[in-house]
Amino acid sequence: MTHHPRHERVVEAIFAAVDELNQQLRRSQRLAKSLDTRITGDGSLDSLGLLNLIVLVEEKVDQAFGIPVTLADDQVLAGQADAFHTLGSLADFVHRAVAAKMKG
Amino acid sequence: MPGCLVISDFNPHNFCAYLENDKEVPALEPIQAPFGLVQPILSDAGHPIWQTRSDFAVVWTQPEKAVPSFQRVLEGEVVPAEALLAEVDAFCSLLLAAAARVGTLFVPAWVHDPADRGHGMADWKRGIRLALTRLNLRLAEGLSAPPNAFVLDAQRWVAQAGIAAFNPKLWYQGKILFGNPVFQAAVNDVKAAARGVRGEARKLIILDLDETLWGGVVGDVGWEHLRLGGHDGVGESFVEFQRALKALTRQGIILAIVSKNQESLALEAIRKHPEMHLRLEDFAAWRINWEDKAANVVALVADVNLGLQSAVFIDDNPMERARVREALPEVLVPEWPESPLLYRRALLGLRCFDTPWLSTEDRVRAHAYTTERQRNAVKQQAGSLEEWLKGLAMEVIVEPLNAANLARAAQLLNKTNQMNLATRRMTESEFKTWAETGSNRVWTFRVTDRFGDSGLTGLASLQVENGSGWIADFVLSCRVMGRKIEETMLHWVVENARQAGAREVRAQYSKTAKNQPCLEFWHRSGFAMRGSSAFVWDTGQAYPVPDGIRLRAAAPQ
Repeated sequence: MTHHPRHERVVEAIFAAVDELNQQLRRSQRLAKSLDTRITGDGSLDSLGLLNLIVLVEEKVDQAFGIPVTLADDQVLAGQADAFHTLGSLADFVHRAVAAKMKG
Repeated sequence: MPGCLVISDFNPHNFCAYLENDKEVPALEPIQAPFGLVQPILSDAGHPIWQTRSDFAVVWTQPEKAVPSFQRVLEGEVVPAEALLAEVDAFCSLLLAAAARVGTLFVPAWVHDPADRGHGMADWKRGIRLALTRLNLRLAEGLSAPPNAFVLDAQRWVAQAGIAAFNPKLWYQGKILFGNPVFQAAVNDVKAAARGVRGEARKLIILDLDETLWGGVVGDVGWEHLRLGGHDGVGESFVEFQRALKALTRQGIILAIVSKNQESLALEAIRKHPEMHLRLEDFAAWRINWEDKAANVVALVADVNLGLQSAVFIDDNPMERARVREALPEVLVPEWPESPLLYRRALLGLRCFDTPWLSTEDRVRAHAYTTERQRNAVKQQAGSLEEWLKGLAMEVIVEPLNAANLARAAQLLNKTNQMNLATRRMTESEFKTWAETGSNRVWTFRVTDRFGDSGLTGLASLQVENGSGWIADFVLSCRVMGRKIEETMLHWVVENARQAGAREVRAQYSKTAKNQPCLEFWHRSGFAMRGSSAFVWDTGQAYPVPDGIRLRAAAPQ
């Protein structure tokens, strides 16, 4: 599947966030930089880990695109649980958010 | 692995996570107390958290939680300073009690989000900054007495992190007060402080010359044309770098030179250039030649009786840095900026010099090495070791452990690696308690000679029980090793053991990675060997004071 170049930059931003998050995690808990990596559900990030990942992704996306996106807002999260299933679904969600902001 | 108890009124999860994963030594195991319960935990000596054996504790609070009246200041009220300070004093009494339960206590200074302008232009007259500064000053004063409690500069962590210092999203959704750059800076400083407490701070800076201490290549342009001082930003930056190095010598850091140069030309530049801030007497030693720098570093470190783990190597040339880093992994070789304008900042940012106590000996250590060089010059002229020692006119002054010498004695005990019989590491209070227990006795030894005072450089402790004396500690600074001070100390210990009724004196050597010189001394000490690592002296026989050394007791305090 070929992605929009902007999607590639979103993935880079998310992987940069994963690099930083991994500095906080034990070796056995660290996330692989793969779009298939699960971030919620059994055996994945706990609630603080997910919060830290979301905040880091927001920072990296802001740095990459100059666009502030809010992923951690409860209202944004409502109905978007699938968005936080894997790094790949998170990338799709962030890409849509960035695209919407750019159009707006 | 040493434990680090973390007591906080916000969620310290991220701090603990960075602390656990940090690769710098020493590795610390964070032990997170339930957050938000600072006062109950501090005031309850029976709380289970105190049962964890923690070498270190970090008590990290928000000013408005530790000092409730500060919340009123945040809400715009004008609160009398006396009310604020009384609450700081009450909090300090809790911290002091906590300090008695752990090895070392770290308390990050109180900070407040710089985004809050408080009373704006009048904030330093009646607002948040004025009150917060008073709080921190009182906190520092309150924790100044115990030797194992330290306020850490959290305001610098916040300043370095800038806008990322406070992260409202982490706060409102995770009760994590700070952004991660603050926690990372905090971990760096806690680790640096822990190294300092454990006697692992670096003591020696080895410097290159051309393009490091001055601009230009002295062999090419001559000392008169070096870029150093003058009406030139680069020249000025080299002088400022030298000033910062000189300031470190006043904290006990020793300077030395390893440079590929013609020695006579390089030394001429140091002596003659009018804008040199550092002069020859500021350097303990130098190796200026065309040999391999790694080999020169090894030789130089041996010259000043230190280990490679004490050394920092600063060189503008990345090839030389890589060479020393690869050949000598124990030496700290910091990456160095290309621009001389950044040298001073790079130096001041190094976190390897933290030391908890600054004794008189520390302040004059650089000078001590200069006089050591003069001693060695005499040694080269002298025909024999005995002749050299007599020429030094040495005096050893012995004094029991007391309040005045406790800090330096504990520092010596904890920092000395090579001539250290048992390598016991104890805080001041632990050492004092040990010295006051039963028949235990501790003496300190000060060494002077015609070149100067080497300061308190020796330590010996003795237990006498059932007619037998045990030397618990036998410690001598590498600065005076090999000058028969060792034998002089043994004379004192044996004589005191005999007077206390001991028929024999025993010493048990405990091997470490670094105290082989101590074992070598005991082999030639005259004590009889028992097994592979114990040594015995029969007190029926006097242990003589070496010729040429005068031993005397200090006047009572």
